[in-house]
Amino acid sequence: MNAPKFYPVDFPRSGYAETHPGKINRVEFRVEDRRYVATVAWEGRRAWVHVGGHVFIIDPRDSDDPTPGASADLDALSPPMPATVTRIDVKPGDTVVNGDVIVLLEAMKMELPIRAPRDGIVARVNCRAGELVQPGTPLVVLE
Amino acid sequence: MSITRLLIANRGEIACRIVRACRDRGIESVAVFSDADRDALHTRMADQAVGLGGTTAADSYLRIDRLLDAARESGADAIHPGYGFLSERSAFAAAVVDAGLTFVGPPADVIGRMGSKTEARALAETAGVPVVPGGVAPAQDDKTLAALAASVGFPALIKASAGGGGKGMRIVRHAGEALDGIGAARREARAAFGDGTLYVERLIEESRHVEIQVLADTHGNAVHLFERDCSVQRRHQKIIEESPSPAIGPAVRERMGQAAVALAKASQYVNAGTIEFLVEGEGDAARFYFLEMNTRLQVEHPVTEAVTGVDLVQAQLDIAEGEALPWTQNAIAQRGHAIECRIYAEAPEQGFLPQAGRILYWHPPSGPGVRVDSGVETGTEVTVHYDPLLAKLIVTGATREAAIRRALRALEEFVVLGVRTNITFLANVLRSETFAAGRVHTRWVDTAMESLAAPPPAELAAAAAQAARALRQDGSSGPHGAAGADAWRDLTGWRL
Repeated sequence: MNAPKFYPVDFPRSGYAETHPGKINRVEFRVEDRRYVATVAWEGRRAWVHVGGHVFIIDPRDSDDPTPGASADLDALSPPMPATVTRIDVKPGDTVVNGDVIVLLEAMKMELPIRAPRDGIVARVNCRAGELVQPGTPLVVLE
Repeated sequence: MSITRLLIANRGEIACRIVRACRDRGIESVAVFSDADRDALHTRMADQAVGLGGTTAADSYLRIDRLLDAARESGADAIHPGYGFLSERSAFAAAVVDAGLTFVGPPADVIGRMGSKTEARALAETAGVPVVPGGVAPAQDDKTLAALAASVGFPALIKASAGGGGKGMRIVRHAGEALDGIGAARREARAAFGDGTLYVERLIEESRHVEIQVLADTHGNAVHLFERDCSVQRRHQKIIEESPSPAIGPAVRERMGQAAVALAKASQYVNAGTIEFLVEGEGDAARFYFLEMNTRLQVEHPVTEAVTGVDLVQAQLDIAEGEALPWTQNAIAQRGHAIECRIYAEAPEQGFLPQAGRILYWHPPSGPGVRVDSGVETGTEVTVHYDPLLAKLIVTGATREAAIRRALRALEEFVVLGVRTNITFLANVLRSETFAAGRVHTRWVDTAMESLAAPPPAELAAAAAQAARALRQDGSSGPHGAAGADAWRDLTGWRL
């Protein structure tokens, strides 16, 4: 009943992850001689993970979404917080390069650039200058 | 006049810190809260809590009338302003006293005097405290100002008398740039403040920020409690403070302490205060210049508590009750080394953008030599309305090296999930060679961002993704009925 479960892992070399039914937010890793303890908290489908003094936000990749990298695009092209659009630097059909600023936002009196997460062509622009935009909605869609 | 019930006109970690001081002292505490802080930690910690209404600071914690109503309603006999908000508003101190209550802080006229930059500077000069070379020109024409700049020395800073926030300010590096700088500063000052009066100061580059804590009672006694080095700043805001300062030598420390006490006495100061100095150079060759006085408790006061053993809030309350300081200067010693790290809800790699959200999990560090003053807990909603300071981590060690190691240990133990914080960034600062060597100046963080905000190791990112996947797969936690286990295969979509 209370037996731990083991999962094979392969970073940086092979080892295993161990979970305990009684410790619902804890995962222990043993990879060769190294040991990591991860602490996890859930926010809907998203996992917040603390490991080795760093915090990561993990979003599940939607397995039935046919577009590869759609989730990564969604993350990168959505505002991280409620913000106002101050400038849009692209229009449909434009070619963008990974790292290009494509939309400029302002939140809490600070500038917040939204950058292209990969090379691609702009399929759609979903915002207008001056508009108040919310997290979770991509401002631009790449082909 | 003994204080029996203290109203705390503040929120967050400092309100919690003062509630604890009340418990330690055996007196009652009264919290005040805005509508956004109905469920905040400080609201629940105090013996009583009175709602102020409103959400923004201006509608709640800055409302003198509502705070005085709350004091009346709760039967408080004294008010502690904390830091920020109304703590340095002389009108507030005056209103508290007019209402027949004790203000835990200096008299209103002292707050007013030391709050004026020009008055404070003049007073410092009278008290023999060094100030940054410079001054207001006898006439405001270009020629007089340029001559003043030349006599002050280059690089010089041309500043608007009415100024603030960097407006109406120009750096002039040599005589040839003086006229252009004066013209530009004057135009900006006129546009921003409607007043083109300029003054000139020598620009001290790569300087450190070192401040001296003072305590003064109503009987004319004043002592200092040594220094805090607050040179680790991002965008002019302190993020790490320590005592002793690694920059100054014992003779300079002694002289700075004496200067601070002299200024406290010259200003007829009462209660806890801090005198900020700009320091250039190192060791006993360091030179210090008066910057300004903060007429209140500082955010970083626990650093001083850690090295002197003096509880500054208790001392403030004793002084407010009219007691004489229990020590002479010689009885106060600086022992070991203390470092404070300010834990902010912010994203350092996005220009320190403040973060809002619910704290899903909060696990502060503990163990020997570790103190955490916090205003939040698991479940707290961090809002955009107030300062994003979540907590302060204060560590002590026998030596600076021991304190740095302990701070790194504690930061690694510190788990905050649900809201992004600067914890990893603080650890990167403490691990840097520049910090270890004690060579940080106030602009250093801004120039070292590339290494301080470096991305995390890829193997940890992989571990994080695997952890989420393992918990989801064995069903012991995670979003039930959401994505299938397949969705967690080959997770790569992490972000910091």
